[in-house]
Amino acid sequence: MAKNKKSKSGTSSGRPFWKSENFRGYMFMIPTLIGFPLFTLYPLISSLYCSFCDWDGVNAPVWKGLKNYTFILTQDPIFPKSLKVTLEYALINVPMTLILGLAVAVLLNKRLPGIKIFRTIYYLPTIIPAVAAILLWKFMFKSDTGMINGVLQQIGLQPVGWLTSERVVLIALSIIKWWAVGGTMMIFLAGLQSVPDELYEAAKLDGAGRWSLFRHITIPMITPILFLQLITGLIGNLQAFNEASIMTEGGPNYGSYFVNYDIYMTAFNQGSKFGRACAEAWILFIIIAILTVIVFRSSETYVYYENE
Amino acid sequence: MHSKTVNKRIGTTIRYALILIFAIPMVLPVLWMLSTALKDNTAVFAMPPQWIPKKFHWENFVTGLSRINFWHAFLNTLFIAVLCMIGAIISNLSVGYALSRFKFKGRKLWFYLIIGSMMIPGMTTVMPMFKFWTAVHAYGTWLPMIIPAFLAAPFNTFLVRQYMSTIPKSYDEAAKIDGASSVQILATVIAPLCKPLIAYMAIATFQGVWNDYMNPLLYVISKKDKWTLALAVARLSSGTYGNEWNLFMAADIVYFLPVLILFFVFQDYFMEGLGSMSATGVK
Repeated sequence: MAKNKKSKSGTSSGRPFWKSENFRGYMFMIPTLIGFPLFTLYPLISSLYCSFCDWDGVNAPVWKGLKNYTFILTQDPIFPKSLKVTLEYALINVPMTLILGLAVAVLLNKRLPGIKIFRTIYYLPTIIPAVAAILLWKFMFKSDTGMINGVLQQIGLQPVGWLTSERVVLIALSIIKWWAVGGTMMIFLAGLQSVPDELYEAAKLDGAGRWSLFRHITIPMITPILFLQLITGLIGNLQAFNEASIMTEGGPNYGSYFVNYDIYMTAFNQGSKFGRACAEAWILFIIIAILTVIVFRSSETYVYYENE
Repeated sequence: MHSKTVNKRIGTTIRYALILIFAIPMVLPVLWMLSTALKDNTAVFAMPPQWIPKKFHWENFVTGLSRINFWHAFLNTLFIAVLCMIGAIISNLSVGYALSRFKFKGRKLWFYLIIGSMMIPGMTTVMPMFKFWTAVHAYGTWLPMIIPAFLAAPFNTFLVRQYMSTIPKSYDEAAKIDGASSVQILATVIAPLCKPLIAYMAIATFQGVWNDYMNPLLYVISKKDKWTLALAVARLSSGTYGNEWNLFMAADIVYFLPVLILFFVFQDYFMEGLGSMSATGVK
């Protein structure tokens, strides 16, 4: 109270502190001022600390040094495999989603009658919630009675063990992602349309063919979007969870036991090993961070920013 | 000149053909879903696949929904979604306004902290958060899903901040001269200008809640009367409900129908929001 009075009369500007830029700014920041420490900072520090502890999620964590990390990296039969399938999954999925998304966007980037309807049709699978889509595909992928194998047999092909063969399961899960390529497509479409027509016109006058226009104008102009999609795709795919949880339960033979699913199972389904789960989560975090940095660094060589 | 128009026509035809061919795998699964939902249980597994049901069993939609206590889970999800929408709009407008309009100390730092926290994989924070929510006796309630929405999720904050930065400051100045307070300026000048963004945020939040599987799985799985639709639908195939895929598909369709309707009603806002991620909209 005293402070208020002082600032009211004392300062030359005559502005009480609650009218200051600082105070009012921080008043509007309140949601973040509570949310960031509570939902980001605290759990981040806590999980880092607990990754060095024995912790069951109920009693106080007990410091054990690197025990969790050495176990995960040298003795755990599951984690290395789950890391391997997660990386494989991202390796199949990320480039394919970029290529498919761009291809479809190029296909639909023309003002033709009915094109809006087709764009909506291509976008449709993206709107369907992941849980609904996964349930649908689980049904279609059934090996003995599923629709996909039914069609394959009808046209004289061998049925495929989509969710029962360790070698195929990642492809099967990827197909669901490719089905929902519409989201990537829309973002590419916006990018393609932002390329100024003058660039094409000028190159055409120089006699450039269609492929060379695409290769030397379109691609460089959309590299920022390509880069953004690469980053988000990478981060998203390395955190796959729903597919394993709802569709495959990580199987067959841990063939789709993604790291996030492993973490979840370790903490919540196998004797509450919260400490070990935190260590696994931090290993994943570090891997994602390293890959992101690599992609960022390499981007300097190929991403083209107009304003620079 | 003549051959050029012929070439163009051939090009257009090929393009249409390709568009049509790729459209088939996009719609086929959804049509198969609908067809299955209308079959009786023996026709579901008929080989070769039966594309059009011999007899339409509309009653599957009644039986399928009652099997998972659909409407109860529906109301649960709706309740959470509406609260989260309100929370997301209020909190993000507030923080976005602070970041774009006030030059308070540490503004840059907070902005980078918000962007940085978008990079953190969700699983890293799950275990301590679980411990936190159980410690405050919120396990088995919806609070772990609702409270965070009121405390400004980073991605939305970022979008709002970017959007508000494009609104000229002269609007604020004019209102300020008329004697409006900051809250009044936000509510009566800035917020109305952010309408498309608010619409996008509302839809995206609704969709997020409707699709969210992990949070209900973590916090309310043991309380069946608190289940959300995503949880109920995901559990369908777990075996406890048998093998009645026609009923499952019927429930699955009704589960995603609200999101689909919302999309078609607000399609323009939706596309605008998507487009804003790459700085321009789709024409």
